[in-house]
Order: sequence, then C-alpha cells, then structure tokens
Amino acid sequence: MNAAGLPLIRVRDLCRDYSVSRRREGVRGGVVDLLRPRRETLHAVDRVSFDIASGEMVGYIGANGAGKSTTIKMLTGILTPTSGTVDVGGLVPWRDRGHYTRHIGAVFGQRTQLWWDLAVVESFRLLQKIYEVPDADYRRQLGRLDELLGLGEFLHQPVRKLSLGQRMRCELAAALLHAPRLLFLDEPTIGLDVVAKESVRTFLRDIRESQGTTILLTTHDLGDIQQLCRRVIIIDHGRVLYDGDLEGLRARVDDRVALHVELREPAPSAELAAATAGLPVQWREAAGLLHVADFSRRDVRGAEVIKRVVNAQAVLDLRLAEQSIEEIVRGIYRRGDAGELS
Amino acid sequence: MIGAGAPALPRWRRGRAASAALYLQFVRLAFLKMLAYRLRYYTGVVSYTVFVAGNYFLFSAIYASRPEGAEAARLGGLTLAQMIAYVILSWAGRSFTFNNIDRTLSWQVSKGEIAVQLIKPLHVQTMMLSEAMGEAAFRFLLFTLPILVVVIPLFGLAPPPHPALYGWTLLSFLLALVVNAQINFLVGCLAFYLKNVSGVVRAKMIMMEFLTGVLVPFTFFPGWVQTVVAWLPFQAVSYVPVMIYLGQRPGASLADALLLQAAWALGLSVLGRWFWNRSVRHVTLQGG
Repeated sequence: MNAAGLPLIRVRDLCRDYSVSRRREGVRGGVVDLLRPRRETLHAVDRVSFDIASGEMVGYIGANGAGKSTTIKMLTGILTPTSGTVDVGGLVPWRDRGHYTRHIGAVFGQRTQLWWDLAVVESFRLLQKIYEVPDADYRRQLGRLDELLGLGEFLHQPVRKLSLGQRMRCELAAALLHAPRLLFLDEPTIGLDVVAKESVRTFLRDIRESQGTTILLTTHDLGDIQQLCRRVIIIDHGRVLYDGDLEGLRARVDDRVALHVELREPAPSAELAAATAGLPVQWREAAGLLHVADFSRRDVRGAEVIKRVVNAQAVLDLRLAEQSIEEIVRGIYRRGDAGELS
Repeated sequence: MIGAGAPALPRWRRGRAASAALYLQFVRLAFLKMLAYRLRYYTGVVSYTVFVAGNYFLFSAIYASRPEGAEAARLGGLTLAQMIAYVILSWAGRSFTFNNIDRTLSWQVSKGEIAVQLIKPLHVQTMMLSEAMGEAAFRFLLFTLPILVVVIPLFGLAPPPHPALYGWTLLSFLLALVVNAQINFLVGCLAFYLKNVSGVVRAKMIMMEFLTGVLVPFTFFPGWVQTVVAWLPFQAVSYVPVMIYLGQRPGASLADALLLQAAWALGLSVLGRWFWNRSVRHVTLQGG
C-alpha cells in the first residue's frame, strides 16, 4: 500500500497574531511611548487552510513579511498559533513537539545545524544518535545521500572550510539522515550559484521520488518552483492568494505574452501596429529589426497576431515569450485581492 | 477527524541507554571542538600566570606590611602560605570550571539559531551541560594542568593538611563545574526575555569573580557580607572547593561542604529546567 495521495498535513483556519508597538513621532512621542505604549495587532497569518498529501512537493511563496516563515514555524512546532488547527499524521506540532520532531527535517537557508568547527561526518554521527538511527540504516542512507549529493570529497573537512554550495549539500543531507516523513525547506537555494542550485533541485526531486518525502519549501527563486513544484501556495498579508498548480496560475492571471518579431527589412512600429489594428496589442521597437508585441492571451490568440504580421511584413523570425512565473506572481501581489483568485 | 488521512506518525521516546550514548557524544564533540582551538589556550596559560603573579605580589606585600606577631601572621584566618595556595587554586579552578554557556545560549536565542535545536528531539539543558563537561575535560588537560605546572614552581603550593583532601578538592571542583554551568544556563535563558542580554552576561562575569571568592577570600569581608554570600550559590563555584583544600571548609564538616555544593547543583538544574520550559513556552507563544 502506498500512502501517497492521502493528506498528511491538514491546516485549518490557522491564525497567528503578533502584538507590535507603533511608535509615536518626535521626542514628546517617545516619552509618551515609554509611559503608554501603543500596541497594535498584526495578523501575520490569517485563516490559512490547506492539505498536503503524503509525498507531495509544495512551493510556499510570498513576499517578505507575507507570513511564510510564521507558517513554517507553526508547522515545525516552534510557534503556537493564535487559533486554528494543524494536524500532521495525528500529531499537533507545537503540542507534541517531542514526538513530532522525530519525523521532520528542516533546512533554514541562513542557519546551520552542523558543527562549525568539526568535520561534517562528526555532525552526521551526532545526528544519527539524536534520531536514534540504527547503524545499518544510517550507512545505507548516508550512502544514498552521498551518491546524490557527492559529499565524499568534503565529508572529513570542517564545516567552516566548506563553500556555501558544499555546505548547503551537507545541510540537506543532515536534514535527511533520519529519513524524515516531512522536509521543510526555507530558502534552500539562497545564495547558490547556478550549478549548485541545479544540483540541489535534482537532489530534491530524487529524494521525493525515491523516499516519498513530503516537502514544503519556501523560496524567492521562482526557478525552484518552476522546476520542482507542481503545486504552489501563494500567501500575501497572511492570506492564501492562490493554491493550485502552476498552469492554473497562468490561466488565472492575465497570461500576458510577448511576440518577438524579427523583420527582413527595417520598418517603423507604426506599420506593424497598422497590421494588427483593432486587436488589443501594444508594439514596441526592441532593437533595429526587432519588434515586440505585448498582448494578453485572454483577449487575443497568438495565431491571429502572427497571421496578421506575416501577411503584412517580410518576417525573418518569430518567438512567443511567455511571462515568467516571477512576473505572474508580481502581478498577483499587485492585485492582492484573494477574492478573484481563490 | 483524521478519517482518510495518511497513516499516523508514531509517537516516540528515547530510552535511558540511548540518552546516555547521545549526551556522551556531546561531551566528546565539545572536547574535539576545543581541541581545534587549542592554540588559543597557550596564551591563556600566560594570562592566568600573570593573574596569579599579580595576586601573589599583592598579598605578599600586604602580609609583609603587617607588624610582626602571631596574630599578624594571619589575615582573614589565612597564613601567607595558605593565601598563596588560595590564589593559585582559585585561578587554576576558574580555568577548569569556566564555560561560555551563557554567552552561547543567549547568542543562539537572540539570533534565532535556537530554532535549529528546538526542531530536534533534544534536551537542550542536558546538551549544554554535556558540552560543558567536554569543554572542562579539555580545559583540565590542556589548560589547568599547564597553568599548575608553570605556577607551582614559581610561587610554591603548600600541601593540604591531609593527603585525602586532594581527592575531595577534585570532587568539589567537579561539583563547582556543574553549579557554574547551571548558573550560566539560567543567565543564557534570560535572552528569551531581554532584547540585549550581552550587558547582563558581562556584568555577571565580573560579579562572579567577586561573589565566587576568586578575587578575595570571603573571610576578608565584613560579617554581613559573609552572611549574604553564604546564602548564594556562587560560593560553591570556587570558595568552597578552595577552602576544602586548605582544610578550612565552610560549614560544620567536609561532608556538609560537599552536600551544600551538591544541593546547589541539583537545585539549580531543577530551576534551570523549569526556567527553560517556561522560556520555550514564552517564545512559542510570543514568537521570537
């Protein structure tokens, strides 16, 4: 029997408020603040609900201060919510922390769980003891992680001598030595170069497929999302703006595309605009023979624009560029209205 | 309510044997970690020698300035030879019992690094105490012993009135180590409540030199100060073991002195446990 597909994480109406003090202005205000601070309630996470199935890899994205980290803190059990429930396989993270921590692994991009001054392998052996991993399992898992991440070369070096990319690979291995059911990743590729990013992504895909690990990752790098997650949850101002697959996300926003047209002979943009007259298309000249038409696939079909351009001008080359996920998400943040999207 | 969910995650407790194996590992790793920085401690040997020398000359001068006579040979109940032994053992003992739990813990808390510990099945207090033990083992071998090797030939260390007191002094310093570690743990926990705890940590360090008796024996103080420090845990960190060596144990008997230390070690670890749990609840409720 495979547990994949059944909800492992159930989050219902999760709320977390913070009480923040708002400062008054000026010296006088400062004195008044000291005597009678003005407190305000900030809804860091506001009625968030979702299910995550066993073996799913979900991208949890949002701007800084959107409520990502606060959610992760509650899901890892180090923050108690103001209201709402979280159920992970029958455990409540913050209440059953002692039991729960056995089943989770986490990598917080900026923090290390390795011992700075000691060889990597020493930290690993310590983790083996912390999670009571039997020797045989430990060797098997370390072998597998080594194979996927190529740790062998620096396993015996002190952590402080590793590059960021090497350290991140070790952090991932450290979080997975006890083969946890759940893996929480907070910005796992932050600061990594392209090659290192790619190896981390490949690794995450492999580990999810081979071990059925349920993975929730927050990231600013939408390349991570594009390559790793079929499903994204977008959060803003503590609320879920969107929960669904990437394609659905494209479909729900304006789905703007840019048609790059390379002409055989120079022509003013106005001529091209004339060709698509009546269609909601904006033309701009990119460079010399290159022109770009911006339009939304909601309003007009790409084929229609292409047909008109080709009929009117001698075209050398055509390229239809879709909006990057980054631009899509930016568009969603700008709108910020949950109602229209979910 | 669970209904058609994935299979439940099993509950889990660590057994005693596994606990012992785990926390021994922390002792071992702390020792190795210190070994990586052993060069730093060579300069420490020099500075401790200077501390001892300074106090040696100071007390020699004080004793020399007293008028001759049976009564004058003693100051605060100690002869000059005993005073020198007091100075040497206080500083050598400090080099052994000292640790940075307060600084490390408060740094981890204020930077949020403590989250990494909280998401692991770990008992942080036991972990930090184990690390202090590993550090102390290193300090004893590569710091305290070298200091003694340098200092004893220079200034001379009078033997204790009874050879058995060597052993009891050692035991007493072990208890002192535990008491000091627990005090530091409690101070470190303050970081959960205070925005800037480094001032408190520094103030504590300076106060400790005085309240533990490292700087001056309590017998030099007026009676009421002696009464106050007798009720505080700090004397168990230095004054008690040194006085045991000198055969002038505080309290009615040797056993009393050791029991007093053990009681403080136990009491402070219970207090630390309570304060830690309260602090973690505070941080999980208030947010870090």
